[in-house]
Amino acid sequence: MSWKDFHHLDDESLLEYYHSTRSPNAFRQLYARYKDSLYRYCTQMNLTGADSVLEALWSSLLESPPQLHGRRLRSWLFIRTNSLLRNYAGQDPDSSQPAPMQDNKLLAGIQQLPRIERNILLLHMECELPLATVADIEKLSLKKCRELYHQGKERLEEIIHGSHRRPWRIEEVEEVTI
Amino acid sequence: MSVWERQYRDAVASITSPVTLDDKILLQARQFKPVRSDNRWLSKAASSCAAIAVLVLLMHPAQYLGALTPGLQSTNGAQQHPLRNWQHKPSQPAQGIDPWFELRSQVNAGSYIELCNQWRQQQRGSIREKLPRDLESKARAHCRLLP
Repeated sequence: MSWKDFHHLDDESLLEYYHSTRSPNAFRQLYARYKDSLYRYCTQMNLTGADSVLEALWSSLLESPPQLHGRRLRSWLFIRTNSLLRNYAGQDPDSSQPAPMQDNKLLAGIQQLPRIERNILLLHMECELPLATVADIEKLSLKKCRELYHQGKERLEEIIHGSHRRPWRIEEVEEVTI
Repeated sequence: MSVWERQYRDAVASITSPVTLDDKILLQARQFKPVRSDNRWLSKAASSCAAIAVLVLLMHPAQYLGALTPGLQSTNGAQQHPLRNWQHKPSQPAQGIDPWFELRSQVNAGSYIELCNQWRQQQRGSIREKLPRDLESKARAHCRLLP
């Protein structure tokens, strides 16, 4: 099967094909689909440990490709990455603090969010996971997860644009005479 | 997609996986050798054998046994092409086998004299062999009025 033939396969079929054939081209295609998204998520959660976490993630996938049992590969990848990031932060306490990204105001604002809000925001926005899956990852109820997501967005807007203060406004009422 | 999400997409568009990391992981992937399936070799061997068999069958001289080029055909007709006139011609009815052939031919030609002679002899009982049915019926039809 050539490089172009993999384009029509979805992630799960591609993983199954790689699992059965160990074709380097199949893995390259799979890697190309997720490498940037995973890297963005990792660097925003833990810049110093991103490379190590990603290496560990892909080497575990290469050594024993996961049995998905009908689940989506995207979910498996980000759940596994999240778990590795937590373990990495536990092993290396110095790296738990995210490195600041000062180039962009929005990205720098995301770095100022609390870890749980940042994680929920990134998993939903960057990794395109549904909030229900994100709630499972964070071991929260869906309601609480949704609240934290909106809270994170509001906090981020506050960091970027400042607090929502409304100036006093005097409304002039004109009497209409008929 | 909201304005805020679009701003985020624009901001992270420049953040991509570094080439060194990609190379490292892809190098690691190359260490796992692809699974070689025996079926592929088997199918290759089978198709090769089939191709050789077809070639042999096409090139084998037995394909052309009895085939002569037009220039080599003999002109005296002694050696005729074996495929010429390959259809069997419908064989003519054998005259010797049917004892009533001549009589039937005469009847078919419109001459009933001999038929009526034989018919009368049969009526008198002076003939051993009886006329066949078709000739008998024709004799009844045509010889009744004859003396």
